[in-house]
Amino acid sequence: MLEAFPTQPFQVILEDGHLRPGATFDQTPAQLRELWESMTLVREFDRKLVTLLRQGRTTFYAQASGMEATQIGIARGLRPGHDWVWGYYRDQGVALGLGLSLTDVVAQMVGSNNDLNKGRQMPHHSGSPASRFVSGSSSIASQVPPAVGMAMAQSYLGLDEVTVCTFGDGATSEGDWHAGINMAAVKNAPCLFICENNQWAISTPVERQTRSESIHIKARAYGMPGYFVDGNDVLAVQQAVRELADSMRGGGGPALLECLTYRVGSHSNADADAEKNYRSREQVRGWTDRDPITRFERFLALQGQEIGSQERADFVAGVHRQIEEAVQQAESSGVPGWQTMLDDVYSDTPVHLRRTYEALRQEQTGQAMHVQEGG
Amino acid sequence: MTATEEKRDEAAVQAAGEGVQPKREQPNPVQPPTVTMTLIQAVNEGMRGELRRDPRVLVFGEDVGARGGVFLATAGLQAEFGERRVFDTPLSEGAIVGAAVGMAARGLRPIAEIQFADYIGPGFDQLTSQAAKLRYRSGGQFTCPLVIRTPSGGGVKGGHHHSQSPEAYYCHTPGLKVVMPSTPYDALGLLRAAVRGEDPVMFFEPKRLYRAAKGEVPTSDYVIELGRAAVRQQGTDVSLIGYGGVMPDLQKAAEALAAEGVSAEVIDLRSLVPWDREAVMASAAKTGRVVLVSEAPRIGNFMGEVASSIQEEVFDSLLAPVLQVAGFDTPYPYVQDRIYLPGAGRILDAAVRALNY
Repeated sequence: MLEAFPTQPFQVILEDGHLRPGATFDQTPAQLRELWESMTLVREFDRKLVTLLRQGRTTFYAQASGMEATQIGIARGLRPGHDWVWGYYRDQGVALGLGLSLTDVVAQMVGSNNDLNKGRQMPHHSGSPASRFVSGSSSIASQVPPAVGMAMAQSYLGLDEVTVCTFGDGATSEGDWHAGINMAAVKNAPCLFICENNQWAISTPVERQTRSESIHIKARAYGMPGYFVDGNDVLAVQQAVRELADSMRGGGGPALLECLTYRVGSHSNADADAEKNYRSREQVRGWTDRDPITRFERFLALQGQEIGSQERADFVAGVHRQIEEAVQQAESSGVPGWQTMLDDVYSDTPVHLRRTYEALRQEQTGQAMHVQEGG
Repeated sequence: MTATEEKRDEAAVQAAGEGVQPKREQPNPVQPPTVTMTLIQAVNEGMRGELRRDPRVLVFGEDVGARGGVFLATAGLQAEFGERRVFDTPLSEGAIVGAAVGMAARGLRPIAEIQFADYIGPGFDQLTSQAAKLRYRSGGQFTCPLVIRTPSGGGVKGGHHHSQSPEAYYCHTPGLKVVMPSTPYDALGLLRAAVRGEDPVMFFEPKRLYRAAKGEVPTSDYVIELGRAAVRQQGTDVSLIGYGGVMPDLQKAAEALAAEGVSAEVIDLRSLVPWDREAVMASAAKTGRVVLVSEAPRIGNFMGEVASSIQEEVFDSLLAPVLQVAGFDTPYPYVQDRIYLPGAGRILDAAVRALNY
């Protein structure tokens, strides 16, 4: 049983890869191997997409490097295709972990015809009903009240699903975060709030975000348990999420889980010089020394499942090939044109949009007096 | 039996006494039986009917349960449907609107009450970033059919935080539909359409008409399609076009014009997004003189879009500039409430200006 409001984060794997005394795990060797592969996929996805960005083939990228254990741990603690997740923009690891394919996520990043979202959003907003990962809004913490509503619906309908709502540390300062968490507590909604505390909201460190001693402690004021795990320990995150989600299926109320991790990369390509501007290289080095994948590899080695250097290189090369294929597939599918720009505003097409469509059609098919670029 | 039902039955008896055929005795498909009710009773009846019809419908908001809402729009609903389906929420518009989005995305049909339209502010991001965009941003993969009901408009001595008409903010947000009935008949038919539709709908209820607007309402399960205006009175000389709380004033102005031998056409938009361009253009082309009336402040008023469209489409038919009668570009005042609101006199004045142009 996870302890609420602990002073130290819950760990299963110690920094040196040893199992914490008293800790247990029930994953099979194949499942452990899968966790390593998924985390490595997320890491390599970052590398590949940054390259793609530099080549001008996408417009924006926000790395999740350093947060792989948190994001894969969340996905693996849930029932895929069953539980729902309202995530935030940096959740590409959660999305991939929940079953969105590389093709789906890449297509969204590129904004191509095979994007499930039809190219409607900037990169980092993928989603699909099949994976039960909701296409997000960029507006920080705006996913919190809807996640609560979804959990209330699950409770009303008597479903054994839970809703997970993820967010960064910055989101905890928003009004909707407090509004949603309070509503969930009052309504006993089966909603698991997970703070991926990577300690930075663009250039604002968490200590300038809140005077609370931690994020999870805030749960106490709302009358729900707050939990704290080492977000660089994939087994700890997975176990915590699984235990908390399962406790909600039988009618248990909401909880707040804080995963302490670190954003190793910059916020996005828009502030690519984080270490020049607002944080020290020493701080970053301190956290790269605590890399979640390296720690898990140490653990695997101690379990007799060492990842050999050739094995790693082959896997990484395979991932890069898959991503490259996904990129090529996206790029060759083309870019959505004017024809679909006015779709999906409503369930129907009201007269004002029908009129607009006709004017747009004439313009884009060269019937207007002047040429409008971009068609 | 709840107080509201009692009132409704009294109204039915009254209606029958006035010559309307009660259903059980002589069903008449041409002239269905009707009952008399106020606008707020129609809203109440609309929710009751939808709660009965569809188990996915939930009603919630601040004080809507045992209290029945501060205006009693939800009176008796919790008693009939229980606390699982009709319930109070914390005092948090952001949580109320946002919860409605999430419920709808999981298959329910939430009807959320915001106590006063003036207080939607904390729910604005939920409306504009979540409700309005979920369908579009996901390429149609996720949707959130929901209804946000809220009393709006002035005339109840409520000062600026109980009197405003903020509908234009939401008309300006693609993805939201916006309606505002002014009669019991419309309130019931539009509410049904809103709940049964597939989109998020802002349902503004002109609070000064809650009890002032009384009328015949069929007992049948009729629905009024969103986007259709109602021509309240046919006319040939000038078109008076409005929506919401000002509609009785348009009628009064039309009566005054009739006494002077002027034939005014009166149109109630009922629905702002989408709005009935066809009805408006037909009327503008017919009369050539248009007065657009709403009580919201003038700058950014929804009627500005109507005026702009009229001059773009039927310019050659116009005999006078399209005139607007609106609220003032001030916060809504307390003491000067009645001066602020466009009344029949101000509407008449505009109509005469158009006629004398």
